[in-house]
Amino acid sequence: MNLNTVLGLLLLVVLLAPLAAAALIAIGGRGRPGLTRRLAVYASALHLVLTIGMIALYSGFVTPDAQSEQNLSLNFQPKAVPGDPGATNGAETFTYSTSWKLVSLTPGETGPAVHFYVGLDGLNVLLVALTSLMFFFAVLVSWDTVRERAAAYYGWLFVLQTAVTGAFVSFDVLLFYVFFELTLIPAFFLIGQWGTGSARRDAARKFVLYTLFGSLFTLVGIIGVVLTNPIPLHPTSNQPFYYEPTHQAMAHARDQDGPYVPGRAGPITFSIPVLMKNVSMWDSMSHYSVLQAEGRLAKATPNLRADRERELADVREKQRERSTTQFWLFLALMAGFAVKIPIVPFHTWLPATYSEAPLAVTMIFSAVLAKLGTFGILRIVIPLVPEACVQYGLPWFGTLGAIGIVYAAFCAFAQRDLRLLAAYSSVSHLGFLVIGLFAMTPEGLSGALLHMVNHGLTAGAVFALLSFLARRYRTLDANQYGGLWAKYPVFTFLMIVIVLANVGLPGLNNFVSEMLMLGGLFDPRNVKIAGWGLALVAAFGVMLSSWYLFTMLKRVFFGPLIEPPTVGEADARPKDVTGREFVPLAALAALCLTLGLFPQPLLDVVSTDVRRVSELVNRARYRLDPSIAAAEAENKPPVQPIRIALPAPKR
Amino acid sequence: MSSTALAVSVLALLLAATLLTPLLAKLRLRRYAHLPAVLAFGTSAVLAMLMLNDVYVNGPAGPTPGLSLHVSADFPWISFHETKLPTTWFSAGLLNVTFSLGIDPLSAIMLATVTFVATWIAIFSAGYMHGEEGYARYFTIMSLFVLCMCLLVLANNFFLLLAGWEGVGLCSYLLVGYYYAKPSAAAAARKAFLMTRLGDVGFVLGIFLLWSVGGHHTDLTQIFAHIQAHPVNDFTLGLACLLLFCGAVGKSAQLPLYVWLPDAMEGPTPVSALIHAATMVTAGVYLLARCSPLFVQVPSVQAYVAITGGATALLAAFIALTQTDLKRVLAYSTVSQLGYMFMALGTAGAVTPSIAVAAAIFHLFTHAFFKALLFLGSGSVMHAMGNVIDMRRFGGLRTVLPVTHATFLIGCAALAGLPLLSGFWSKDQILDALDHAGEHGLTHRELYLGVFGVAVLTAGMTAFYTFRAYFLTFWGETRIPEEAGHHAHESPRIMCVPLIVLAVGALFVGALVEPLTHHGFSKFLSATPAIQQANKTYEREHNVRSQSQPHFNWLIAGLGTAAAVGGLGLAFAMYRKGQLAQLPAAAKPLHAMSLNKGYVDEIYHGLVVKPAEIAATGSRQFDGLVDAVARLVSYAPRMLAALLRPLQNGLVQFYALGMVLGLTAVVLVIVFKVSR
Repeated sequence: MNLNTVLGLLLLVVLLAPLAAAALIAIGGRGRPGLTRRLAVYASALHLVLTIGMIALYSGFVTPDAQSEQNLSLNFQPKAVPGDPGATNGAETFTYSTSWKLVSLTPGETGPAVHFYVGLDGLNVLLVALTSLMFFFAVLVSWDTVRERAAAYYGWLFVLQTAVTGAFVSFDVLLFYVFFELTLIPAFFLIGQWGTGSARRDAARKFVLYTLFGSLFTLVGIIGVVLTNPIPLHPTSNQPFYYEPTHQAMAHARDQDGPYVPGRAGPITFSIPVLMKNVSMWDSMSHYSVLQAEGRLAKATPNLRADRERELADVREKQRERSTTQFWLFLALMAGFAVKIPIVPFHTWLPATYSEAPLAVTMIFSAVLAKLGTFGILRIVIPLVPEACVQYGLPWFGTLGAIGIVYAAFCAFAQRDLRLLAAYSSVSHLGFLVIGLFAMTPEGLSGALLHMVNHGLTAGAVFALLSFLARRYRTLDANQYGGLWAKYPVFTFLMIVIVLANVGLPGLNNFVSEMLMLGGLFDPRNVKIAGWGLALVAAFGVMLSSWYLFTMLKRVFFGPLIEPPTVGEADARPKDVTGREFVPLAALAALCLTLGLFPQPLLDVVSTDVRRVSELVNRARYRLDPSIAAAEAENKPPVQPIRIALPAPKR
Repeated sequence: MSSTALAVSVLALLLAATLLTPLLAKLRLRRYAHLPAVLAFGTSAVLAMLMLNDVYVNGPAGPTPGLSLHVSADFPWISFHETKLPTTWFSAGLLNVTFSLGIDPLSAIMLATVTFVATWIAIFSAGYMHGEEGYARYFTIMSLFVLCMCLLVLANNFFLLLAGWEGVGLCSYLLVGYYYAKPSAAAAARKAFLMTRLGDVGFVLGIFLLWSVGGHHTDLTQIFAHIQAHPVNDFTLGLACLLLFCGAVGKSAQLPLYVWLPDAMEGPTPVSALIHAATMVTAGVYLLARCSPLFVQVPSVQAYVAITGGATALLAAFIALTQTDLKRVLAYSTVSQLGYMFMALGTAGAVTPSIAVAAAIFHLFTHAFFKALLFLGSGSVMHAMGNVIDMRRFGGLRTVLPVTHATFLIGCAALAGLPLLSGFWSKDQILDALDHAGEHGLTHRELYLGVFGVAVLTAGMTAFYTFRAYFLTFWGETRIPEEAGHHAHESPRIMCVPLIVLAVGALFVGALVEPLTHHGFSKFLSATPAIQQANKTYEREHNVRSQSQPHFNWLIAGLGTAAAVGGLGLAFAMYRKGQLAQLPAAAKPLHAMSLNKGYVDEIYHGLVVKPAEIAATGSRQFDGLVDAVARLVSYAPRMLAALLRPLQNGLVQFYALGMVLGLTAVVLVIVFKVSR
């Protein structure tokens, strides 16, 4: 057994253990709430330990190839893939793919099929850790707030955990989509059955319908991408054909003789890494053929001119068709993710959901489920429609993100309910994250990825803190509170730390990721499309977040003590943070501080895969605007990410 | 020890104090909570002096590649020989941020000033805060405060500097809001944090702009070197400098973001001393001095800096004229004196940068002494008066508080710039730089001459309001508010000693470091590599030779003295009885204007705060509308269903009719298709 196999097994365990725990608890815990919650805590703690172990193994495993800058392949190369054909017989050759077939579309052995293709890479490893951690805390937070039908509650919670983890680790588009949608079912029951508000059923229905509505478009987009990007085959043989012209080759395309013969469409595939290659290949071929046709037209003798013009018009038409298709696919793919994140104005399911769901579930929603959307952009949208992302990503969704930052900040300021304040604050921060993603530079992408973790920790911590109040008082209306500092100094201290993390104070985690995302916006290639304007809004948004959060602090924690009616008997005096509450809160605060001071290990883990994405996008940029390639060639040595060596076909 | 090691140990000491103090409180040793802070500050001050000496003897240490400590230790159970602290804070793509420190005369002077003054403030606080409930909390935050300030002045990386910068903002928030149960303290704390953060938006953007044009470096020295080697167009550089200046405006309480500072006296009085004298507000001045190689290249921005400084100095002095709250007078005087420093900084580039920067930093240095002294003195007054600070309610405290009176008088004289005291020398250098810029400057001469006039006028006003406060507090017949009880008495020794030490500083330190040592301070400061670089840029751009040292101009000194003495005389004439004077009717509107702080707070409230709140409420309501649209979309299927529902009416005849019609249509289509 080599390390990859061990990791693969571990990953399977990490992915499926929550399901087993759910079954165990649902069966064994019925009618025994005390046992149930203890089981749940043990199970999620064990899961956390396993996850940490897996990640420790993984990070030891990847360090060597982080060095290989020269031949960086431009598609994801997941490690720890269960069923990797290369790793089964003990040899250390990885194919970064799997042989575990789920559904075959054709009866034969070789036809297109949906695989159970899961694995770990730099993009998802941190999020897998975050998921395990936040579910552990969610279980702790639920300890004495969930009393009714606890077995079913924890069961659904663990099902949700498997669904989220599955979406993070999938490398098959359809498998990803299945896990992505699977989250809806447990979420629906958790909100509708255990919600704290009176309108919880409405909220649950609204959440499911709204996100389902968006993600059906995403399904259409996914199918569209799969159908339009089959494996390219060599024009004359049946071999896969991945000779992608480098941008130097592109620059000389006009000097080439003979019409360029693009590859033929082969079988379709659902594997994300292969799809990435295909997309890049088809895009390049289409651009290359246009360039060459232009060159041929320029060199044409007068009697050939008409022919060559027709040829050029033909390839241009094809290229335009392709980019139109990409544009619509981009919009379709984004629909589901924009709702899930959510990006303003598709956020209106969120206030209802966040304020009706039990606080532990709200914590999971803001910390982990929102990341499904941003992760989807990173894993699916950018790699699979890179040219459309370059053209429309920052101008459209960046602008929406910027609007969202300011708009949600204003909304947050005007909220009286602390939960809604936190909800809108979360939306505001996610707007920043979307901008950082669509900057599509190494800084912006690393920052965005790190911010997914950081936002998960801080937003989750805010809801965990609110559960402290919810456990003691009957309302979360900020106007009924005041001067809590005097009564709960430890709680106040933790709250201030988390608020400071939220507003991006240096030394705490959000600062690092926000600075990286801002840096991404100052990329000169983005300046053209108003990167500076977005940077201004984003930086201003950080200021706005301190505006509403410090106003909240002033109202709730400063001034003379005001308390709403307590939950228990009138004479039972609420205590400051208890031991069980202290664990998640203090751990989150400590993590915020640690990641603020020493974020580099995390950035090292993600750097290789972030470079894959950003180089991929760079090549899309070069194709769309050759002047960028020329400008960059002057400044730094050209990138040579192509590894396939089939001769260029000429006729 | 090398100066780098000294700097690192200063930071480590302060960090240790920050961590140790809450531990003491946990161990029920709250009474001793001041010890870590006092000891750490004191030791740091000594180390900072050693570092100053080291830099003086050996020259600047240059930027360190990072904090690398080599520790070797052997314990019975474990032995390790080398521990390297990480040198990278974070790095991705082209953004590399390192823990890099820069040690040169400028940072050494700042470090020594900060730690020295902070030490005495901490000692004073031990007496002043004695018996307070949050004694340990106070000293914890104070240690963190000084730590952040030291990090700020030692950082050679913009992001590390920003960390210190935001850190002092946070600590000032926590200290101003120290009395958390007091609504006014809570409001002042929030205001201070938000105002400075507003400036920081500009600061952060400025850093990124410099990063993107400065060869993707984040270390200050590397950015300066890169920009010198690859000149940037004036617009971009000017924009970057202006954005940096935004940060300085917020932190150093200049127009239009100064309004937080006067409110910040809601915290315990020693905190005001700390904020106003050594830490926090000097950060902006330091930043501009540090970045002078960039600023000298954009004269128009420099002119703007000088104007901002002048306008702030004048406005704050004008407001201070009529305030009846002793601490408020001092707070406005800080704003005004910071304006002075910015006026001086603004002349860099019009005159030799090293002269201008030295004047500003020299004033910062002397100001730290006498402003700390004045605030601690007012704290001593408050202590005796049962926390009353309104000058209308007490008077004639000369006999009650002899030590406080004597030291306060020295502080007033130094602030007013009476000859031979510390404030006189530094103010004179600023006036001289302004005059020089106005007469021989290369750009914007008229403007600098105007600013010079403002500076002289402000000097007179400063003397007036300072001595007005002094006379109102200490002269006339003795009046003591009832809050003080019957035991209004001089403060204990632990509070008097810091007053005396700082008073000695306010008396002599100015003369000692400049005229008596042949401008030793200016010369030493000019050896800073950044300032040297600014000088070179100045020489190259204007093709002139740098002036090596400031010269003493009798005319300017006389003018300054006349203004100060005039102000003093007027105050004596009006307030020597220790009571508020009757004003002529003509001066009433002006008086009201000044008393109400120029209505600036009200204007801001009407123009910014209220609209923002209205926008917030509006957004919340608009969100309902967005939701309604989403709901409307969700009704679409239902409405479609409502349209189609009548078709399913359950009547067999209707269905039969439908079938017949459908069949007919199909047949017709087929027929037409075939027949064509």
